[in-house]
Amino acid sequence: MPLEQAVGLATDIAILSLLALSAYLVLLVGRISFGQQAYFALGAYASGMASTLAGWALAPSLLLGAAVGAVASGLLAWPTLRLSGLNYAVATLALAEMMRIALMRLHFIREVDGYTVGPQGAEGFRDIRWLLENDVSPGAFLLLCLAVLAAALLVLAWLRPRRLGLALRQVGHDEVLAASQGLPVLRLQLLAVAAAGALAALGGGLYAHRATYIEPALFDPMLGVHAVGYALIGGLGTALGPLLGVMFDIGLLEATKVFAGWRMVVFGGLVALFLRFRPRGLLDEATVHRIGAAWRHFRRTS
Amino acid sequence: MNTRSLLLLALLLPAALTATAQSRRPQVDLKCEAHGMGPLLDCTVRLRGADGQPLPGAGVTLGATMPSMPMAHTVKPVKALPTAVPGEYRGQLTLEMSGAWAIEIDLTGPVRERVVRVLMAEECDGDGRCPAPPARR
Repeated sequence: MPLEQAVGLATDIAILSLLALSAYLVLLVGRISFGQQAYFALGAYASGMASTLAGWALAPSLLLGAAVGAVASGLLAWPTLRLSGLNYAVATLALAEMMRIALMRLHFIREVDGYTVGPQGAEGFRDIRWLLENDVSPGAFLLLCLAVLAAALLVLAWLRPRRLGLALRQVGHDEVLAASQGLPVLRLQLLAVAAAGALAALGGGLYAHRATYIEPALFDPMLGVHAVGYALIGGLGTALGPLLGVMFDIGLLEATKVFAGWRMVVFGGLVALFLRFRPRGLLDEATVHRIGAAWRHFRRTS
Repeated sequence: MNTRSLLLLALLLPAALTATAQSRRPQVDLKCEAHGMGPLLDCTVRLRGADGQPLPGAGVTLGATMPSMPMAHTVKPVKALPTAVPGEYRGQLTLEMSGAWAIEIDLTGPVRERVVRVLMAEECDGDGRCPAPPARR
């Protein structure tokens, strides 16, 4: 594989991993969201508009996108988290579709330096050119994406053994038991869902700047279903699970290219087969526990 | 480095990364024809500089992704090679199915640019060739 293509693929994996981590965060508190693509879209549009129309630099544009994603996700979660599991999943899907259709109605065109730019409804939003204008190479952008992903993973790893991390997992295992132990279940779920919105939006902002072109059709339910799939395939044992899930998924998609038109059929069959034998994913809780025990044994004996 | 220095750095970073003056962009025309199984997509890219003159000597790479599955449903990028006509480049993409495809044109060399056009690529009947028009949104 040529270097350019490998850099592009690695960048895609890093960006999709942020989306997968957002789905993982929601799964961690015992909910399934098929709507994370909506916050990915909001982040893409918000950060794209900030850098293209307002002339903001990349870093504040991405932060704005993340903030928009967190606020939107938190606000929508406030009424929907009161729904039971399956109803919540359907509500996230419906809200995401509403948001995608709303983006098809979004027209906000301005003239910048002699060029007409901005979202043009279903025609999309072209010329998000911050990387080109500032001569950021694909390799440098890959490093930025990896740094953002590493920061997100570090925060999640830091949180895992702490009070908040344990409380989130407790809520995910059994909401009723967590409530009976005095944990503020709704508040913890709101926090996780808002953080998940921010992560997805951050990924969306990076995607918009990499692709230079976005349109509502990019953010359809398939993206949200894949995001949940990444987390489930990778396993919920640690935050590295979704990352593995993305690599497995993209690796399998690349490997099945030889099947040409039948590729997606073969790909879907292989994923179904995999989940038949590893229903809790590659890095499930038991595997993480076994790896941890083996590591502790190795340290004791060496 | 103490916390105050880190905060100062974080505040100054956006200013340091602020966009520089915009360069004039090249004009990029894309025409594609579908044929065969897949379908295969023969694409011709015509480049002109901001002054309207043909732009030879550019590196042109063509890629394609299905908008319905960004980053996952992509095809292998190919180099478009210059033809005898100045500023004209040709390349062939092997798509996996009919439908709307976002064709990504990456330029390197005298200009660095990325242009995306969404086309509708359908398999033609028999051995014919048919144009891939802009996808209706």
